[in-house]
Formats: sequence, C-alpha cells, structure tokens
Amino acid sequence: MSKLAVLRGGGWPPLLWLALLLAAALGLAELDGLFRLIEPDRRTVIYARAAFIDLLGSHLLLVTLAACVSSLVGVGAAIMVTRRWGADFLPLVSQVASIGQTIPPVAVLALAVPALGFGSGPTLFALMLYGLLPILRNSLAGLRGIDPAVLEAARGMGMAPLQVLCQVELPLALNVILAGIRTSVTINIATAAIGSTIGASTLGDPVISGLVTGNTAFILQGAILIGLLAVAVDSLFEQLQRRAPGTRQAK
Amino acid sequence: MSLPLRSNRVIPVLALLALTLLWSLDFVSIQPNRIAPGSGLGLLAAMGPVWALLLTGLLLACALLALRSPRPAYWPILAIVWLLLLQLPLSLAWSIERHIGADLPYARVGIGAGYWSLLFLLGLLLIELQQRLRLSRVWLLGGALVLAALLGWLAQQDWLEPLALLREYQSRRSQFGAALASHLGLVGAAVGSSLLFGGAIALWLQRYPRAQKGSIGLLSFIQTIPSLALFGLLIAPLSYLSAQFPLLQQLNIRGIGWAPALLALIAYSLLPIVRNTCVALQEVEAGVIESARGMGMSPAQVFLQVRLPLAMPLIIEGVRVTSIQAIGLTAVAALIGAGGFGTFIFQGLGQSAMDLIILGALPIIVLALLADGLFSLLGERFSSGARR
Repeated sequence: MSKLAVLRGGGWPPLLWLALLLAAALGLAELDGLFRLIEPDRRTVIYARAAFIDLLGSHLLLVTLAACVSSLVGVGAAIMVTRRWGADFLPLVSQVASIGQTIPPVAVLALAVPALGFGSGPTLFALMLYGLLPILRNSLAGLRGIDPAVLEAARGMGMAPLQVLCQVELPLALNVILAGIRTSVTINIATAAIGSTIGASTLGDPVISGLVTGNTAFILQGAILIGLLAVAVDSLFEQLQRRAPGTRQAK
Repeated sequence: MSLPLRSNRVIPVLALLALTLLWSLDFVSIQPNRIAPGSGLGLLAAMGPVWALLLTGLLLACALLALRSPRPAYWPILAIVWLLLLQLPLSLAWSIERHIGADLPYARVGIGAGYWSLLFLLGLLLIELQQRLRLSRVWLLGGALVLAALLGWLAQQDWLEPLALLREYQSRRSQFGAALASHLGLVGAAVGSSLLFGGAIALWLQRYPRAQKGSIGLLSFIQTIPSLALFGLLIAPLSYLSAQFPLLQQLNIRGIGWAPALLALIAYSLLPIVRNTCVALQEVEAGVIESARGMGMSPAQVFLQVRLPLAMPLIIEGVRVTSIQAIGLTAVAALIGAGGFGTFIFQGLGQSAMDLIILGALPIIVLALLADGLFSLLGERFSSGARR
C-alpha cells in the first residue's frame, strides 16, 4: 500500500488534487491582483501572518499525529474487547463508541479548553479523543463481522491465536477499518481548522482572521486551502481502500 | 449470545477508577469574584468527612456487588448508581452551604475535574447496567429528566446561586433564550428544507436511476468539504449578490449571517436524507408492491399506503443523522454570525471565560443527545408499526 502502488495503478485523482493543493499553498500568495478584485479597498489582500505552506504543514501534522494515535488505540481496543478475556468490556465499549459519535466535535474541541487550556496540545487531544470513536466503531464492526466458520477453519489449520489475528482477522477487517480511519480523518481536518479559534496554528487561521477583520480575501484563501486539503486526503483514502485486500470479500 | 454466569469485571473497574479520580482531583473550585483566580478543593475539603465517606462507601459497594458470583446483583447496583447521580446536584448545594457565606457575595463556585469525572463514570456505569439488564432507553431518558428537574428546583431555591455556570446563565438569560431559538430555528429550517428537497431528489432518482451514482457522489463530495471552508466559500458570492440586489439586503441576506449558514447546512443535510430515502424506497420488496397492485390500489395509493410507510424507519434514520450533524454544524456557524449556542463558545474563547464556553457547549451536547434519543424512539415506533 505504498505511494508506488497508487502511482502504478493509474490513481491519478489523488495526485491531481495533491498537486492542486500544493500549487495553491505555494501560489495563492502570488495572486495579489485576483484577490484585489474582491477587496479593492484593502491595503493587504494576501494573508501574511504565516506562509500558507507552513500552515498546511502544521495542519497536516496535527491531523496525522491524531490519526496515528487514535488508529493505534482504536484498533488495539477493538482487538482487546473481541478476545475472550476482554469480552466483558465489549458491550460498554461498543455503546460508548456509538453514543460518543452523537456529540458534536466542536463541543469536544471547546471543552478541551476548560480542561487543558489553549494551544495546539489541547487541539491535538480533542482530535485524538474524537477521532478515536469512528475508528473504534468500524474496527469492532470489521472484526465482529467475520464469518465464525472462517476463524474455525483457521484454528483448525493449526494457527496460533496471534496468527489468526494477523493473517486472517485483520486482513479481512482492513477495509472496514480503513473506512473508519477515513471518517476520522475527514472529521479531524474540519475540526483542526476550527482549532485555530483555540490557538492552534492551522489553515483555519486566515479564515478566522478574515472573519474578525471583515476581509473576504483572507476567508477565501483559507477556505480554498482547507477544501482542497480535505478533498485530496479523501481521494487518497478512496484509492487506498480500493486497493486494500479483503475488498472483494467484504462486498 | 447468552450472558455468562460469572462476576462482572467492568463495574469494579469503573467504580475504582471513579474513586481514584474523585480523591485525586479537585471536586469544586472557589473564586472570590469573576476575575480572581480560583482555588481548588478536594473531595474531603469540599464535602466534609461524612459525605466523602458516604460516596466512597457507595462506590465500593457497587464494586463488591458486581463481584458477587455467579450472578452479579445488578438491580441494587442500579439503585446505588441512581442514588449517586441524584446526590450530584445536592452535593453542589452542600459544598456551597459549607464554603460560601454572606461575607462572599460575589463568590463563584466552579465544578471541578473530580466532579465531572464522577458524572462521566456514573454515565458509563449506567450504560453498562442498561446493557446487562436490557433496559429500554426510555428509562434512561426519564431518569435524566428527573435529574434535570432536581437541578432546576435547586436553582429555583437559590441554593445553587453562587455556581459559576449559573451566574453566567443568569447574566445572559435573554441571550440564552435567543441562542436556543436561533439554534433550533436554523437546525429545523435546514432539516425541514432538506427533507423536502432531498425527498424530491430521491423520488426523481427513482425515475432516473442512472443519475443516482452521480448525484450521491456529488453530495458525498460536499460532505467531505470542512464546514469552515464551505461557510467561507459561500461568503464571497453571497456578499456580491447582496451588493448587486437591494431586495436581498432587505431580506437580510448577506455574506455573513443566517443565509450562508442555512445554505451550507442544507448542502450537508441532503446526503443522509437522499441516500437513506433512495435505499428505503428501493428495498421495499417487489412482491409486496405487486400484491398491493393486485388488490386494486392505484399507483398513488401504492406509494402512500405501502411504499412510504415501509420506507419510514430508514427515512427517519436519515433525519436523525442529519439533525445531529446540523446541531454541531450550527455551532460552527456562529463564527459567521449566524447566532446559536456557538456564540457563547466563541465569546468564551475570546474572553478566556471558561464557564461561558461550558454554557455554550453543554446545551449543544444535550440537544444532540436529545435529537438522537427522540428520533431513535420514533424510528423504533415506526418499524414496529410496519411489521404489524
């Protein structure tokens, strides 16, 4: 599942979106004339407090870190409660994963401030906590959706429990788990953008600053970059899911 | 899967975790006024030895009753958990009684991390018990209402007056009402109009199934665009239109405000409704429709009396997902001046006023949970009606 596999398989939509995103992050600052059409009376029409590429970098860093931690924890917890020794916790964990997703991510982000304070750290924590739920829920669905006869057959072949997990269960559940990670990342890209209201430096900064000063050009620059980032990452995940083993079995 | 006949390990873990957090974190904090920094009080300092030991004893009792083998005593545990929940508002009143005298007229009592942890873990215990005892969700909703009524009564009696959250509410009582109205108004308008448009689109897609893949693809593409970006992208064209046409200005349609918020909310709401309605209408068995036709029903009758009622549970599920999503997105829409509870959150963030943030965030969570419970119950009602 490397980038190479995507390249070879003619996965051009994600590459196209990524190229557009990079071009926008590097080139938007040069389009002074274009944005002046929108805000003719302003002195500055290009957001200048930070370079767009840096904001893109820190936005991506936040989302990637959160996705890695919540994938590890979410899949790990799902594996634990689907073993015999952890089965006691299964009803509670699966209920919490579904009830928790009812709570809007903005509320979690907002409550991170009284609990932990302002800045990137609390934003990261909120992203991890909220991003955990879709991954946990999908991992549980994936692991529990496997036909028991398949597991029986694997055990009958003399596979050890760890082998059954790594060679049968996880590959079969991979596509559903990936769908969960995709949902989590999509939500987190949006939530991280709002994170700039609690002091994280992300692509939301130009939008918020534009809203505060009434500068539509700033808003537009931030919005274009956030939108492109979300679409690029989503199409990347779509490509990954299409190539995941177990795609055919799952359907 | 049958229940294993052995002791429950989940409840002791939760109860002991609650005990640890309760004794190690601040239960409440006290500020002499809004600006002065608060000082935290632990459980013992806040509540006194009798109340603190009572709480500890009740939590330990939960753990011990759950370890009973072969069948844990779930009903007594449930009673204890409810007792613990009901004492939560009373414990606040008690700590205020103990610490806030007439000499501190502007004092504010903040709810501490220990208190919130206890509330959260009691919630988890309740979910666990509800699963083990297979209780209906109506009980949970009823219990929450009793708790809310108790809290309201205590607030009426002025016993909770120094509570910081309540003081923030009291100084913004009319704004709170306005925020509730605009939040519900936006969510209702968005869900209502997307139900209308989404239903029409879904019916149209029944006639032209070839357009289905493309339309659903387009709607899911919109869903992937983050809310802040979509709001932002709508501002420029709307303010341009508003500048061109004075009529729009008179209707208060501008680049910021309710207009871009509602447009974006509808755009987000269409996907769950269109997708669920399409699936629901297609999943009605051909045999059922055939027999309805055979009974001499006209096409309109078949649709209204057979297909629509059978499709109802899935359509309501779409409305449930849409409403929860819209409640959260409306909070974000406060950034572009659309009002709602998000206003309190972003004001609170701007002023570093933690209680104001909580005053905005809690109602949003409550609204989302209420919408979830309400539409789930409605869906269950319809699906049992359809089966009959």
